[in-house]
Amino acid sequence: MLQIQEKDEKLFCVFSGPQNTPACKELEADLLARLKATQLPVVFDLQTVEFVSSMFLRLCLMAVQKVGAEKFSVTNTQPPVKKVFKIAGFDKQIKIE
Amino acid sequence: MGATGDVSKIDEVLKKAVQSAAVFSELNQQTVDRITRAVFEAGFNNRVKLAKMAREETGLGRWEDKVIKNAVATQFVYNDIKDLKTVGIIGEDREKGIVEIAQPMGPILAIIPVTNPTSTVMFKILIALKTRNPIIICPSKKAIKCCAETARICYEAAVKEDAPEDCIQWLTEVSREQTQALMSHRSLALILATGGSGLVKSAYSSGTPTLGVGAGNVPVFIERNADIPFAVEQIFISKLFDNGTICASEQAIVVEKDIAGEVIAEFKRRKGHFLTAEDILKLEALAFDAEKGLMNPEIVGQPAAWIAQKAGIEAPADTQILVAQLKGVGRQYPLSSEILAPILAFYVADNFEKAANLCIDLNYHGGVGHTVSLFSNDEEKIRKFSLLMNAGRILVNTPSSQGAVGGIYNKLETSLTLGCGTGGKNITTENVSARHLLNIQRIARRRDNHRLMRFDTKLYLDETKDARAIETIFNRNC
Repeated sequence: MLQIQEKDEKLFCVFSGPQNTPACKELEADLLARLKATQLPVVFDLQTVEFVSSMFLRLCLMAVQKVGAEKFSVTNTQPPVKKVFKIAGFDKQIKIE
Repeated sequence: MGATGDVSKIDEVLKKAVQSAAVFSELNQQTVDRITRAVFEAGFNNRVKLAKMAREETGLGRWEDKVIKNAVATQFVYNDIKDLKTVGIIGEDREKGIVEIAQPMGPILAIIPVTNPTSTVMFKILIALKTRNPIIICPSKKAIKCCAETARICYEAAVKEDAPEDCIQWLTEVSREQTQALMSHRSLALILATGGSGLVKSAYSSGTPTLGVGAGNVPVFIERNADIPFAVEQIFISKLFDNGTICASEQAIVVEKDIAGEVIAEFKRRKGHFLTAEDILKLEALAFDAEKGLMNPEIVGQPAAWIAQKAGIEAPADTQILVAQLKGVGRQYPLSSEILAPILAFYVADNFEKAANLCIDLNYHGGVGHTVSLFSNDEEKIRKFSLLMNAGRILVNTPSSQGAVGGIYNKLETSLTLGCGTGGKNITTENVSARHLLNIQRIARRRDNHRLMRFDTKLYLDETKDARAIETIFNRNC
């Protein structure tokens, strides 16, 4: 599940549920289209996400490519997901809150 | 025997060590145990003298705490290893037809840190002699005399009980070139590298098998169900021990905001001095070398009041720990890094998840694989928190300095060489002890094995048979 909303001059992409490969594939096209269309900083909100797949990590990297690392961040990570970002070394490329 | 720092003499040192190893390999368990006992007693009986020597020579820590370190490194280590079989056949499984034989490894080079010199020397000598391995002590430049005296005392006690000549050698001068030459010498069997990351890395690069350690940056999570006065008391016992020189000592405290007030009050009651934003900047400038990204060695093992004065911070004379409340983790927050002195970073988190995230950040900020600490009385939270951390030791309701070393507050093996796993670039997450210094040979006798009876080469050569088909045939009537 993905809800996209503009708030405080940012584009918030609020994900919910496990972000496994099928879930990511389903939302990939819409998400990338919205990212391509926006000039706003993009925030992936993972408040209710407890699992991320390789495909989700790839979506993060694609988002960085589309909007630039300085305009992309991940927020509200749950500890198990935060650990995944740490192990993958994403915290060195992406702002993770 | 003492040896000078001359690189050309390294061959001679190793030649003696190899001869010693040869003689050592003939000794039986009884003799080895007698030698180990004698060395334990000699080291233990000199614990106060050696502690005072270490304090005087290095200028670090407190001699009284170094006495305790010396006692732990001898009495508790000895108790852990005294009944361990280290000679000849040490295990036999008749059903499987496997017999295990312990063989010594050969000459060991012991790299000794300035922070725990005499205790580390005694610890490494005990585990080396128990496993019939000669040992060469390579001390920190700032702890040569106390290490030499410790090694001499142990050596004399060992030789009196029929240990081979030169089973313990020690360097009386140290240079980088000499250490490199020793580490890469073809006759050296193993390096026990306890020290800074540069030295440990260089040991790994030498081509000689190495049991090393990693850097620590220990986060402590005080969870809302913790016994707060108890938790703070334990943290003070640990952080003040030898003025914070143990690499497993607490570096940052993380609390949930609901209990932050109570924790802060308890810290203050125990003379923890919370720094202002201005004081934090002053302390950062003194305590951390931003260029090197490392703590300033000048403040390592010094009392809090002394550090405050040196930094130009106004703090009560009886201040025990300097506490810096920080907003983040990383290079932009120098006090979130490891500092072996009575200084603590302090964080307030909104809830368990935010606190766990902060601990992950701290854990990965220079301390991967080492140690984390948790105060809690909630089993589910303890389990959840532990699964998130990357640490060889996750200590619960325990002072981390003493808890990580083992043998006192828990049943971990007593050790002054704490493995940090691959995260810390080590081969083990265990507390290194005698059992790591053996080559175990296995006699494997022929036994009936259903795999052999069912192994039909024709099946494997048939490309039409997939894994499921072969498995079905292989396991038929099992």
